[in-house]
Amino acid sequence: MKNKCTFFSLFTTLLNFCVSSAELTVLILPQNLQKLRASMDKQCSQEEEEEEEEEKMDDDSENSQLLQLMARHTQLKDLLHAHHIIGTMFKYQGKGLCASLTTAYEGVYLETYNVEIDLKPRLRISRHNVPPFIPLSSLAEQSNMQTDIRSFLDTLSKHLNAFAGRKQQLKLVKELHKSVEVLESNVLCSVLVMLLTLPGEKSTVLCTLNYTDHTRLLPSGVHFECKDKALPDAPEWKKNCSLLMETPVHKALMTMKKNETIL
Amino acid sequence: MDEMMSTENMEEVRVLEAQIERLQAEVEALQCQQQNNNKDITLQLRGKMKDAMSYLCGQTQGELEEKVMSQLKEEVEELEEDLKQQTQMNGICLNSCITKTLQSGSKVVQQLCVSGQCAELVFQVEFQLSEVKEGQQSERTISGLNVVMDNSDPQNFSSFLSGVEERSDLLLFFRTLRTFSDRCDDRGRTFKHFKEKYPSVVSFPGGSRSEVMALNHPELPGCVLFVHWSVEVSCEGEVTPKVGLLTKIPEEALQLFPFQSLGGAAEAFQSLLRILGPEAAVESVIRAISLSQES
Repeated sequence: MKNKCTFFSLFTTLLNFCVSSAELTVLILPQNLQKLRASMDKQCSQEEEEEEEEEKMDDDSENSQLLQLMARHTQLKDLLHAHHIIGTMFKYQGKGLCASLTTAYEGVYLETYNVEIDLKPRLRISRHNVPPFIPLSSLAEQSNMQTDIRSFLDTLSKHLNAFAGRKQQLKLVKELHKSVEVLESNVLCSVLVMLLTLPGEKSTVLCTLNYTDHTRLLPSGVHFECKDKALPDAPEWKKNCSLLMETPVHKALMTMKKNETIL
Repeated sequence: MDEMMSTENMEEVRVLEAQIERLQAEVEALQCQQQNNNKDITLQLRGKMKDAMSYLCGQTQGELEEKVMSQLKEEVEELEEDLKQQTQMNGICLNSCITKTLQSGSKVVQQLCVSGQCAELVFQVEFQLSEVKEGQQSERTISGLNVVMDNSDPQNFSSFLSGVEERSDLLLFFRTLRTFSDRCDDRGRTFKHFKEKYPSVVSFPGGSRSEVMALNHPELPGCVLFVHWSVEVSCEGEVTPKVGLLTKIPEEALQLFPFQSLGGAAEAFQSLLRILGPEAAVESVIRAISLSQES
């Protein structure tokens, strides 16, 4: 019963306010109006009496304190959730710092990698689940982990997100482009070799993408090999080359299919 | 006279009655919504929050209010500490996160509006977050990203921001924001250092957070060297500081003094930059100006 009054009192107050503002607009008070007001006042005073019987001033303020605490709890949870979505989460655990690095590609959240760093006597990575082909220790040295943990973690996040992104692009190529045969790819997803089929004669083009900059999602080099030696210099294929350099591979292949340069 | 008054009153009575009916209907609708909201909230509550809600709804018997309060308070204090640590380490301060649940069930869709700041850069991001639970695993996706920055440097960010919104790359946005803020801090610290060391030579025509530091020749008014230190953000989120030297020498001065060296000053400065780095390069330039005064 207590809670009903607490919540309902809010609306009664709202109703009261609206009624009293309506009252203010009436300058002349004839009998009918008075009757109406009287019945309404009776209703409101009835509710007030009920409240006074059931609650005391202390209870009201304690309830509101609890409500405030609950509101703060929800707000804090929401803010921490937001931090989790926008990037790296930090938590001090024992003698070290635990960082959770989120990865995502085109809005889809992928793996989360954890790195535990001991703080004393000097900064040292104690545990992690970062794959071995990401050079953790050399990254730590290059970005001065000892003096700037955040810079190191940002660099690591860049590498991890680029790797996750390239891996996802490969997955999409396999899913969306069944006519394209993926011949070779490495664990770091920094090399991709595909067999593209040309329309008409059904001959093929070997396409090699090299991602030499491991912090990027786009290749630094595109190479075509074909029986027809003149093909790579043809204008449509020069366009395809820039397409593959400037757009993610699964999207570039989509455009190439639309342009009917490949099947 | 009386008749006229009573018709007017009848009108007003009717108007007020209609108002009251409308208000009552509104109250009913609000109460209904409140009930729905409560249902939503109670379903999602866990642990101490659930206890607290149960207490408020009078569903727990014999639970002391103080016990519920103190347990919840403990948890809130823990969360405050977590948030403080997170903000400190991350360099990003989130001020508010407004969540609206658009869909619940096996696929939960929420609209989030997060606002905060990174040093002096104020931002607001809005996006839709969908979470699909499949057994043990859950897949999270973001879409409809909209980023607004309250920033005095719109050119720097506009192409980067549109790329980020297109690719829904929230992570890249915040990583880049932080790096950009760090590079701007580097610039601010360096400029401040030079101002303190050479107060008579150094001035900031565009204010202390500007990109330009002016080096005024102490003896020759109108002869100014400008150090332009910009921090550029590429479409892919690469943050590059660019430092350059610009000279402003009046015609008369060029005629009177053989400032041949200053003609190639910009290129010479770039070579200095490559060898010494920005701070040492600027230092040498300032020394050069001050030295010529002494000689």
